[in-house]
Amino acid sequence: MGKKVEVLAPAGNLPSLRAAVDHGADAVYFGFRNATNARNFEGLNFSLSDAEAGIDYAHRHGVKANVVLNTFPQADDPGLWYRTVDQTVTLGADAIIMANLALLDYCHKTHPKLPIHLSVQASASNAPAINFYRRHFGIDRVILPRVLTVGEIRSLRGRTDVDLEVFAFGGLCVMAEGRCYLSSFATGVSPNVEGVCSPARAVHFENSGGRLKTRLGEVLIAEYGPGEDAAYPTICKGRFDANGQVYHTMEEPGSLNILEMLPEVIESGVVSLKIEGRQRTKSYVATVTRILREAVDSYYEAPTLFRAKGKWIRELNATSEGATHTLGTYEQRWQ
Amino acid sequence: MRISLGPCQFDWGKNALKDFYRRMAFETPVDILYIGEVVCSKRQSLTPEEMVDLARELGPSGKEVVFSTLGLVMNAGEEDLLYRMAVAARSGGWWLEANDMGGIAVGEGRPMVAGPHITTYNPETVVFLQRVGVRRVVFPVELSALAMGDMIRRHGGEVETEIFAYGKLPLTFSARCYTARAFRYSKANCQFKCGDFADGMTMRTQEGVPFLAINGTQTMSHRVYNLVDETDRLEAMGVGVVRLSPQSLGMAEIVAVWKDRLQRRMSGGEAFRRLLELNGGEPFCNGYFNGRPGLEFVEPEVRPQ
Repeated sequence: MGKKVEVLAPAGNLPSLRAAVDHGADAVYFGFRNATNARNFEGLNFSLSDAEAGIDYAHRHGVKANVVLNTFPQADDPGLWYRTVDQTVTLGADAIIMANLALLDYCHKTHPKLPIHLSVQASASNAPAINFYRRHFGIDRVILPRVLTVGEIRSLRGRTDVDLEVFAFGGLCVMAEGRCYLSSFATGVSPNVEGVCSPARAVHFENSGGRLKTRLGEVLIAEYGPGEDAAYPTICKGRFDANGQVYHTMEEPGSLNILEMLPEVIESGVVSLKIEGRQRTKSYVATVTRILREAVDSYYEAPTLFRAKGKWIRELNATSEGATHTLGTYEQRWQ
Repeated sequence: MRISLGPCQFDWGKNALKDFYRRMAFETPVDILYIGEVVCSKRQSLTPEEMVDLARELGPSGKEVVFSTLGLVMNAGEEDLLYRMAVAARSGGWWLEANDMGGIAVGEGRPMVAGPHITTYNPETVVFLQRVGVRRVVFPVELSALAMGDMIRRHGGEVETEIFAYGKLPLTFSARCYTARAFRYSKANCQFKCGDFADGMTMRTQEGVPFLAINGTQTMSHRVYNLVDETDRLEAMGVGVVRLSPQSLGMAEIVAVWKDRLQRRMSGGEAFRRLLELNGGEPFCNGYFNGRPGLEFVEPEVRPQ
């Protein structure tokens, strides 16, 4: 058996980063408080001094810290992105997570020693693409978009030397990331440029006659009857009318959770299991990190005897909208 | 500016597709034809070898033919298809349009087009792409006139630019098939249902407002994006090619209106009215071009300049 798979936890702020480290993460990832990363929500993310403190805390506990710089700078002000690359090196981060060709090129040439992880926003889902990024920018790792089955990941493992990281838990993007324009279609705000999908300022809740309507911009994303739980309005989890029925046309609200397939995922040859959710609370980070840690350790103690414990699943479900979970695309029949 | 006919996004079947491209090549004034399946490798669309035959057949029309690759390549079988496309394109000197970085990878070193699904958001990216062989860039559909104009001005290279100018906007790809899902089938057993929807399946909000079009693993705008009354601005920006995206009805007439407009035989307003008629009076959208939500239509008098 190879090296133990890594548990990689999100941090939207310093307390969450500490929680991740304290609850058994092998590595953490965070972004700065601006449009340079794809979770640019108000009140979230790190200042420069937070980043220093966070990296220091992680390193003192033997935990790696990765910096996220995964949006696409536009022509008018790319300076902030390039400065952030330089800062990441100065801060002593363990890796930088990027998607834009121009930034990758700059980073590889200017800071050849800084390990690069290709962001999920680059949507690299096949060997020619991944190997292209390796050839030109020396990437060490690719974060796979949530479009591959476990079988496809195992097969891909044989066609590239680049380390593979996959999402293990959290919000489920059901589209090819970095190339989804649904949110900007309704709001005019581009996740790729401004770093936020379904921005809070475009979200409206309307309550009338016991029915709740959720909107993104002008678009009605879902209407709920009494007693139904409303989800945060994102288009891909909305309820629409198609083919003569009203249903979640793309996906139900809920979380991706790979625990039931953990052995297959680990044995497919991935090096890192990523928890989504930099926008979530410290207690979410603590709970999910602790359970993933426990599950991974339990797998390595006796791989063939592994089973996902009911209490893990219940606790994880409780953290998620809709309180349900899915294996998502890792399982063929989801597609 | 030249006119291109983008790759057909829908599952019309081999024969209908071939007839369509023949008609477009020989009977309309388009300058460039993109052929090739962009959405789903399960569809019975043209194989790379059949594309070579078709491109040869279209040769006498004098039109430029480009081979478009899949928008999302997810497995070894699809990678093989990519390589076969690259070989097929080289065999006759046709360019590839890469719609996934895997497409850029297999086309590297040869002249190619970076399609609208390549994330070209800044001039430095255009410069990089040029280094690996890209000769024409089709910008992502969500970019505004301001952002595109800025990029064209600043990249400083020889790369030509193309803008998605007419048709339902391709907004996103997934591993999941939403047409199959609407029939409670899985993708593995999809029954090729997307073939029953020549222009996609309309998805409405619970208030009955048409919003998106489901097209297999792809999701598109319900409204047709239309920049025909912006051709002066496109020219001033330095755009080289306007892309019209195939639809099942009236495509030859749509191309003719665009040609008339580009040759100034028709005013922008007239061309717009004519296209509105051809669109059955259904409203268009142009929000992205004007820096607004993509689904909006911004009236001429309030457009930012």
